[in-house]
Amino acid sequence: MSLFFTQLRAEILKLFARKRTFIGFGAFLLLEIVILFLFQTKGVNRFKSLIVQQGEAFEKYYSALTIAHIVLGAAVFLLGGIYLALVAGDIVAKESEDGHMRLLLARPVSRFRLLLVKYLTCALYTVALVQFITWSAFLMGLFIKGWGGGYFAYSPEAGIAAFYDWGEGLRKYTIASLCLSVAMITVSSVAFFLSCLPIKPAAATITALSYVLIDMILRNMGFMEDYRHLLLTHHMASWAKTLAVDPQWAVILRSFTALVGVNTSLFLAGVVVFDSRDLKS
Amino acid sequence: MALIEVKSLTKRWHTDRLALDGVGFEVKQGEIVGLLGHNGAGKSTVMGIMLGMVRPDRGEVRIGGVSVQEDRPRALAQIGAIYEAASFYDYLTGWQNLRALCSLSGWWDEKEVRRVLRLVNLHDRANAKAGTYSHGMRQRLALAQALLPRPKCLLLDEPTDGLDPEGIREFRELILRLRAEHGLTILLNSHLLAEVELMCDRCVILKAGCKLYEGPVPSRQDNKPVFQLTSQDLAKARDIASRLGASMNREGMVELPPHLLGSDIVRHLVEGGIRIDGWQQHRRTLEEFYLEQTGA
Repeated sequence: MSLFFTQLRAEILKLFARKRTFIGFGAFLLLEIVILFLFQTKGVNRFKSLIVQQGEAFEKYYSALTIAHIVLGAAVFLLGGIYLALVAGDIVAKESEDGHMRLLLARPVSRFRLLLVKYLTCALYTVALVQFITWSAFLMGLFIKGWGGGYFAYSPEAGIAAFYDWGEGLRKYTIASLCLSVAMITVSSVAFFLSCLPIKPAAATITALSYVLIDMILRNMGFMEDYRHLLLTHHMASWAKTLAVDPQWAVILRSFTALVGVNTSLFLAGVVVFDSRDLKS
Repeated sequence: MALIEVKSLTKRWHTDRLALDGVGFEVKQGEIVGLLGHNGAGKSTVMGIMLGMVRPDRGEVRIGGVSVQEDRPRALAQIGAIYEAASFYDYLTGWQNLRALCSLSGWWDEKEVRRVLRLVNLHDRANAKAGTYSHGMRQRLALAQALLPRPKCLLLDEPTDGLDPEGIREFRELILRLRAEHGLTILLNSHLLAEVELMCDRCVILKAGCKLYEGPVPSRQDNKPVFQLTSQDLAKARDIASRLGASMNREGMVELPPHLLGSDIVRHLVEGGIRIDGWQQHRRTLEEFYLEQTGA
């Protein structure tokens, strides 16, 4: 087991030694600043009326947590998807294209183990990126509004408009962000599977993104109402349901079980495809 | 004892091109064997199958008695390899590259890594990014990773490709030293016939996926004396040589049967009225043998 962790550590160090790995982190910081600027100058009044209409005090619930939630909801799915697909789409295909795989597989390691290490690295990168977004958005919120206040968790798609005190809000925000991290692993899984095919890394990334975007578009179409359970983004969106005052844990668990099943299937399919390939230039 | 056994390898690509057709050979402990052939002859495919990167349709490779096709990690634990152009992570240092690769072997010993880096003369640049390395340095790093952790056998696929003459000589000396000091068994795939001739004990020649020859490097054999005749009358000389059981080509290269000496031929030629301008023993080079075998 310690050998496996040594290999995982080496793969993570390799990933984070690349400058492009950090592009996602930098881009999110920039985006958070832009969103906050636009929200402060243009969107705050609309949001104020939302809170007031619910009979709550705007000054209490317009807090660091509420601001962080706005940024998180606006940014993660689309921009996060891009960077997750970029990293996971590269992780096998780019190494095959560059000839690194021939060097790696000249070592006494099975293809399954090598891919498992790479997949887990993608999953850890996903969690790291989402958590970075979560807490950098929170820090920005703190910078603007300071510590304390309430938390207005507003997610119309999940049917949630809940008000919490600071302590409970912080707990809800933390749990939701962890669920979001797990949900976003599915984007990485799609890109990882495509990366195992004999295609260019850019093709793996673009195809993965296209799939997720099409899935998202279909989810928002009325005639797909009866088939939403077949869409990945429908299950991925379950992270927001944890923000309800009384979350439907059975529904949330069902969605996450479906996602875990999809992720496992995509990983195993990737292994089967990669295992059948001849690695020769 | 054969450390590497290549048994009846057959491989057909998806394009239906036959890459290998029942190729088999052995490499004994401590031997250096050259794998020769034109581009597309199947040399790299054999290497790929030996490393488990290419799946054969039939046949298998056993390393130290362990089948690569059945238990790749255990079979590969005994070898170090440079397969096709070694491509390192440019954004990592040489040291970090070695560490990442060695983690896959479940091994790391800084003292041994330093020793190998000194051996390949890369210890001064180990902490520089691999992206800043010259081609020669990359090849030396490739050899260093193949030598970690202490393999019984090295599979080297075009290891001197792109090196300058000095680099090739250094590489050759290093390989011979490794064999002498550590008893390493080496399978060398190279286009540089002169290098194979200088390094290898035996060679295997492939053509269009078939094995044409397996045996000692011809220039190292002294059992077939060959002489170069220079004369104005080569056609008549060829007739005389042929009557004596010797064979002679248009360029005056005479190959003697075992019962004849060079002086016997000379005497018969002179008695037959042939004026001899030159007669000297010729050692057949691997290049000549190779071209003859492959019909090029």
